[in-house]
Amino acid sequence: MKSPRDVVIVDGYRTPFTKAGTKLKKVHPADLGKAALKELLAKTNIDVKLIDEVIIGNTGNPVDTVNISRVVALSSGLPIQTSAYTVHRNCASALESISQGFEKIRSGTMDVIVAGGTENMTQMPTLLPPKIQDIFNKLFAAKGPGQAIPLLGSLFKAEMKQIKALLLGNMKDEYFPVISVLKGLTDPFVGINMGQTAEIIAKEWNVTRLEQDQYALKSHQKASAAIKAGKMKEEIVPVPLGPDYKEIISEDIGPRESQTLEALQKLKPFFDKQTGTITPGNSCPITDGAAMVLLMSREKAEALGYKPYARILSYAFAGLEPERMGLGPAYSTPLALKRAKMDLKQIGLVELNEAFAAQVMSCQKALNSDEFCRTKLGLPGKVGELSTEILNVNGGAIAYGHPVGATGTRLVLTLMKEMRRRNTQFGLATLCIGGGQGGSIIIENEA
Amino acid sequence: MSINESFKIVPQGDIAILEIDLIGEKVNKLSSPVMARLKEVLEELKKSSYKALIIVSKKPKIFIAGADIEEIKTMTSKEQFNKAVEGGQSILNQLEDLPQITIAAVNGACAGGGCELILACDYRIASDDSSTRIGLPETQLGILPGFGGCVRLPRVVGLQAALDVILAGKLLNSKKAQKIGLVDRVVHPNLLLSESLKWAQEILKEGKGKRRKTFKPVGLMNVVLEGPIGRGIVFSKAREGVMKVTHGHYPAPLKALEVVKRTYGMSDRENALKIERESFCEVAVTDISKNLIHVFFLTEMVKKQSGVRGVEVKPTEVKSIGILGAGTMGGGIAYVAADKGISVRMKDLSWDALGKGLKHAQDLWSKLLKKKVIDSYQLKQKMDLISIGLDYSGFKTMDVVIEAIVEDMSIKQKVTGETAGQMRPDAIIATNTSSLSVTEISKGHPRPEFFAGMHFFNPVNKMPLVEVIRGEKTSDATIATIFELCKKMGKMPVVVKDGPGFLVNRLLLPYMSEAAFLLQEGMSVEVVDKAYVKEFGMPMGPFELMDEVGLDVCLKVLKIFKKSFGERIEISPLMDKLATTGRMGKKNSKGFYSYDAKGKRLDVDPTVYIDLGLSTSTNPYTTKECIERGIFAMINECSLAMIQDHIVESPNEVDLAMIMGTGFPPFRGGLLKYADSIGVTQVVDQLELYAAQRKAPRLKPAAPLISMAKSQKKFY
Repeated sequence: MKSPRDVVIVDGYRTPFTKAGTKLKKVHPADLGKAALKELLAKTNIDVKLIDEVIIGNTGNPVDTVNISRVVALSSGLPIQTSAYTVHRNCASALESISQGFEKIRSGTMDVIVAGGTENMTQMPTLLPPKIQDIFNKLFAAKGPGQAIPLLGSLFKAEMKQIKALLLGNMKDEYFPVISVLKGLTDPFVGINMGQTAEIIAKEWNVTRLEQDQYALKSHQKASAAIKAGKMKEEIVPVPLGPDYKEIISEDIGPRESQTLEALQKLKPFFDKQTGTITPGNSCPITDGAAMVLLMSREKAEALGYKPYARILSYAFAGLEPERMGLGPAYSTPLALKRAKMDLKQIGLVELNEAFAAQVMSCQKALNSDEFCRTKLGLPGKVGELSTEILNVNGGAIAYGHPVGATGTRLVLTLMKEMRRRNTQFGLATLCIGGGQGGSIIIENEA
Repeated sequence: MSINESFKIVPQGDIAILEIDLIGEKVNKLSSPVMARLKEVLEELKKSSYKALIIVSKKPKIFIAGADIEEIKTMTSKEQFNKAVEGGQSILNQLEDLPQITIAAVNGACAGGGCELILACDYRIASDDSSTRIGLPETQLGILPGFGGCVRLPRVVGLQAALDVILAGKLLNSKKAQKIGLVDRVVHPNLLLSESLKWAQEILKEGKGKRRKTFKPVGLMNVVLEGPIGRGIVFSKAREGVMKVTHGHYPAPLKALEVVKRTYGMSDRENALKIERESFCEVAVTDISKNLIHVFFLTEMVKKQSGVRGVEVKPTEVKSIGILGAGTMGGGIAYVAADKGISVRMKDLSWDALGKGLKHAQDLWSKLLKKKVIDSYQLKQKMDLISIGLDYSGFKTMDVVIEAIVEDMSIKQKVTGETAGQMRPDAIIATNTSSLSVTEISKGHPRPEFFAGMHFFNPVNKMPLVEVIRGEKTSDATIATIFELCKKMGKMPVVVKDGPGFLVNRLLLPYMSEAAFLLQEGMSVEVVDKAYVKEFGMPMGPFELMDEVGLDVCLKVLKIFKKSFGERIEISPLMDKLATTGRMGKKNSKGFYSYDAKGKRLDVDPTVYIDLGLSTSTNPYTTKECIERGIFAMINECSLAMIQDHIVESPNEVDLAMIMGTGFPPFRGGLLKYADSIGVTQVVDQLELYAAQRKAPRLKPAAPLISMAKSQKKFY
């Protein structure tokens, strides 16, 4: 049943996703966002005055652009009158932005919203440890050299201790610099790293090392095939690299066509050296990138003559134990299905973010488990089989990477473009969220 | 009657606020009636019991724009000038001598006489509004500050800073004015009056009273520079600087320098002002000053025009443009548009080309960043306005698309049609062609009324002229919108009719072509170029110009002209030879001149003579002949373009276009002002002579020129 207040996705684009420390390392996340948004505006030929709001996900919260959404909006040429704000729901920040846009349009408050996300994980800062920061705080407040000189002495001593900690590689030392990207990947409630959460569920759901590596290999193969077939060109916009503009980045850096199982098998487990199975090869890499979609009410889209890709049927977020965060999609998906009054069988295509191969496979097993669904979700029985045939058909984050604040939107736009290619009616995009949550969105093909 | 109401004294206790607001005028200016009234007001004030006087303007963006240039234009004799200047000087003396303490509170433009008025006050405060610009631009009009500016400014800000202001004739923003000491305080415009009052009360309370005008040097460097030896250095450096810029063609700055030199430190005010006045009168009566004022009015005229005569047409505001082709021209156009806040999207065939276009713009702003004209945030904002693409994304949102692709008729027509299909039906396409027919290209457009020419000159960021070309079917609305867009981009538009070479290139080609004949007849490249630059005042000689334009382009255009105009266009065989020896000019670093790795022009390339099969130059002709053959050839062609072909409507457009597009020396007032000054008959006679002597039928005077000579007509 179509309604004028249906929320449709007119179009969407993203920058290339490039492994941290590579081609886009120097591009500020606001400029990554601008690159994606400006092209989205150009490709849709939209009159920028019509845009009511810009909602952008970001987790790194750069110190020079704390409301990065506003900076992205202005530098993309949106009028100063257009409101813009940034949202943060960890790994699902760019799904949160879409869901907020969805609510505002469905309620009739707004008609046209840009939603998306941007992240430059390379640029996440390295901070002073609290011990040294404390000396700096005192130094800035010092009155006269009498107070400052002894403080400079303690600073020197502290710096020496820091160098020692660095030389010994002792990250637990209180003088070791705070690497915010690592801090961000550590659960603040239970104190374990995301990789360790994946270890827990891999063991609980019996996902073997070989299965994970095979899955990772497949991700690279599917991604490489999609790139070769030109599919990614339909969602990527190039980023010109200033200040000399000799290079224009237009391809993802992550998917490896030459990846072999043997090479993956050789890698050592990173988080649990003895009994672990999670390696950098079967996890997603740290990555830089941005993605944007244009949301509209159906009536507005029709009035402007757009032919949208999809309409949003429902979304859901759900919580679970932080140490099992990887199972998040198994919690949020049944809820999103319920809200859309649908059954998993109706879903023809799925994008489930590949934070870790183990976590993706655990989600598949959990959804297909009567016991899990009864005890954890309170359902009468299993939700059903999430077939590998329709799952991440163009590869996933293990190949493309996971720029945390941008991935949610990337999943939706990759999903909707593939749904149009395959003429699939219903699609699901879902991801696990650091801190112990899952997020899901269900969309319907508009073609 | 209305003049009396233009000055109003508003009492604030024992402080008087003098409000200036010229009734019925957009700006405050110091015309004779205004000065006469000011004199009366000052006399009243002198007798009053007020203790302080604050002078303000009630105009929103103008304090006092200066003297009335219309009035200067009408004056011709030294006596007239002397009387007017003497009057002005004595009124400002009266202001200086008031018993009250005086404060000038400046918001908006404060130029020339306006600046001289505030210099006669004791204290100066200015607003930090962007409209506040203070300075002495007189030398730009071939005159010099005559209401005491040359005398008072060095006493207020010191010798060095004063010479910088007077000789360059540029206006300062309030920040810079404060830095050199031209104003004492800078405040937000809303606080200007209240702060002035507070300040006046403070001064009265502290009993500081009137301020001495003698400047006391501070800092060791100033002490040295202001000392007698130092002064000598400052003056000789200043003179060198002026000569470098003007080649001695502009007497006003030199005269101003002389006035400052003679009067600096002089204790006798009357005598100092007399020196200034006499010098003023000397330069004010020269043709050079008259010509510069003429050019000033030409530029003012464009500001008021819409590009369409006779009918009222409302231009559409252009907020976003597309540019086809990201080459030197495309990149340059992107720069000037984005610099003025217009959103730009460049389309080209490769990312490589587009990257170069972005870099072109970025480099130009980087230079401004280095000079601290803009900050890094402004640079980023400007760059953010430019996007690039290989397809027509975003073209439906554009108001105008400027096409700057390869000069090929069939490609241009095809691209025009294709682009029109991607744009809104009411959007305009403008071609930046320099040599093809706009009407012909417009045949590729389904709605040719929305098609025009927009001919920028290279380098786009420096050359102010844009020829707005009206094709046969171009609508008035299209012309008006493009004309307004040019102005928004900070350019000087001149509307011309379609025709080979439009206006500027049509006139330049015979000029450059004639240089090739001079070379063929034994003149050397250096001698000819030097004659035009040093003697005549062109920014570059014809050979330098040909190198800049591209020797292949020159030949190509000459051939187009020959096809269109027939026999009267002769092409020197040297032009053909140049093409066959692979000399293309600056772009391949091989032309009449040699170039270094960065493309900077060095000396004449001696091998050019060998390549062209020329023996050693004998330089058989006088510089007079060299110059006349080139310049008169232009005048000759112009008579045909204007009178016979109606390419432009009046000599105003010709002169403006030549000055803004080719750097034709402004002190000569433009090509046709120059023709009038030597007389059309003289031009015709000389052309006849050269045509016969040098067996050059191309130089025969054209029919319209001959008939003008017969009837003793002038262009103006």
